[in-house]
Amino acid sequence: MSSLPAGRSALPRKSTRIGGLVRVTSQRLSLVVVFLVLWWLAAQRVPAFILPGVGKTFDALRELIASGTFGEDLGITLYRVVAGFLLAALIGTPLGILLGSNRTLGNYFEPVLSVLNTVSAAIWAIFALIWFGISNGTTIFVVFMEAMPLILTNVWQGAQSVNAEYVELARSFQMSRAKVMTKIYLPTVLPYFFSGARLAFGFGWRVSLVAETIGSSNGVGYRLRQAADLVQTDQVFAWTLTLVFLMVLLEYGILKPLENHLFRWKKRVS
Amino acid sequence: MNALPMRSVPVTPTVRHAVELKHVSKHYGKLPVLEDISLAAPAGSVLAIVGASGCGKSTLLNIIAGLVQADSGSVQIDGVAQSPAQDTRVISYMFQEDRLLPWRTIIANAEFGLEAGSLSAEVRRERALEALKMTGLEGFEQAYPHELSGGMRSRVALARSLVVKPYILLMDEPFSKLDPQMRSQMHQELLRIREQLKMTVVFVTHDVEEAIVLADRVVVLRPRPGRVRDVLPIDLARPRDPLAADVAETVRHVRALI
Repeated sequence: MSSLPAGRSALPRKSTRIGGLVRVTSQRLSLVVVFLVLWWLAAQRVPAFILPGVGKTFDALRELIASGTFGEDLGITLYRVVAGFLLAALIGTPLGILLGSNRTLGNYFEPVLSVLNTVSAAIWAIFALIWFGISNGTTIFVVFMEAMPLILTNVWQGAQSVNAEYVELARSFQMSRAKVMTKIYLPTVLPYFFSGARLAFGFGWRVSLVAETIGSSNGVGYRLRQAADLVQTDQVFAWTLTLVFLMVLLEYGILKPLENHLFRWKKRVS
Repeated sequence: MNALPMRSVPVTPTVRHAVELKHVSKHYGKLPVLEDISLAAPAGSVLAIVGASGCGKSTLLNIIAGLVQADSGSVQIDGVAQSPAQDTRVISYMFQEDRLLPWRTIIANAEFGLEAGSLSAEVRRERALEALKMTGLEGFEQAYPHELSGGMRSRVALARSLVVKPYILLMDEPFSKLDPQMRSQMHQELLRIREQLKMTVVFVTHDVEEAIVLADRVVVLRPRPGRVRDVLPIDLARPRDPLAADVAETVRHVRALI
């Protein structure tokens, strides 16, 4: 068996991986420093109600956290985003698989998706306000309408890309339809679902703030508008910083590691 | 016409056939693909089906596998007529491409063959390990398909076919994508494993040399529609070296028929 290749030696060694991690971390940190310096320089020449300085913003953030409703507002916004997103995933995924595995249905419903995608989030927010009034439902609905088409489109694409040869292979082993679904369809669709879900969550998070500014009496979006109305620019900046921090945490703390784990079978392009 | 001799029904043949086709025909729409195909593979033998492209070799194999229904004629597996409720788990099908699932490790790919049934996870793992050992893949259980060479992927596909402990192994040009050296190595492995498991092997190829090296019997098909042109027993001594004079002579002879 001399012709067997050395197999796994092509995988990156642990030490080089740690070295890479250190390099990436220092790059990111230096980026943050550059950003802070630029911000500080810009704030020197501009009145605080237009561009508050770094120190002022962090003071505002400290005050916000101390005020007591900070956690509550974050929590309620997060709840609305997650609820809308989960609804979108629960409805978008099976629909996408159905439309992707059935060409006739897919062709028939294709224009609906294009129409859904052209409607602006602001329009959904106004509709939601009419239908649900000032309530959680408004924001959840807007997030759902924004996230669902994204998940649906991606899963749809994934289901269309299922390899017929794999299905035939499963059939040659006498596998049931249900097993073909879980063992061939689901693993094929998963990467598509993942990229759709990531996009959908990001969009949902952003439009939730728009929805909250007009359709709720609490949550981060509502606080943002309140702060803007009172020209508390430092508070607007403090909220923005919080949101950015949360999204970065989500991306590098949860999504990236999860993705690396789920799709560890993929060939890395080096 | 009705003056047929009153010969008694032929006595049950002394040879037990693992696969026996009688007068099998198949059309796709108006296009005839196979016409009146009769062939038999004695239990434990290797049967090769050769022919130019377009003579319905793959369709024929699919009919034996039960993936495609014949329009007429009968297909008997181990002397029993195929029915929709057949237990074809004893038949294993190895495709032209390796068809390894890229998201599964090698061991999980090998186990895939058993996942239609109701075996426990431990038994599946055990049988998969056994099959990987047989095909020389020990130590690669946790690798992913993209990390392996073509030859090794081919071995994994073979292992996946073997986990079900097939009574009959069907192969559709299984090694056609390998380089010649890898290919002859796989031929030897296949013959060794067949010996070990006492399988009947039926395979389709356009490569006459491959057919002569492996098979006990070669069925030559004529194209459009596929018909049996000739059935040749190959009685050469094993192991067969494709460069040996008698093998090369047989190859030339069969090539002339295609």
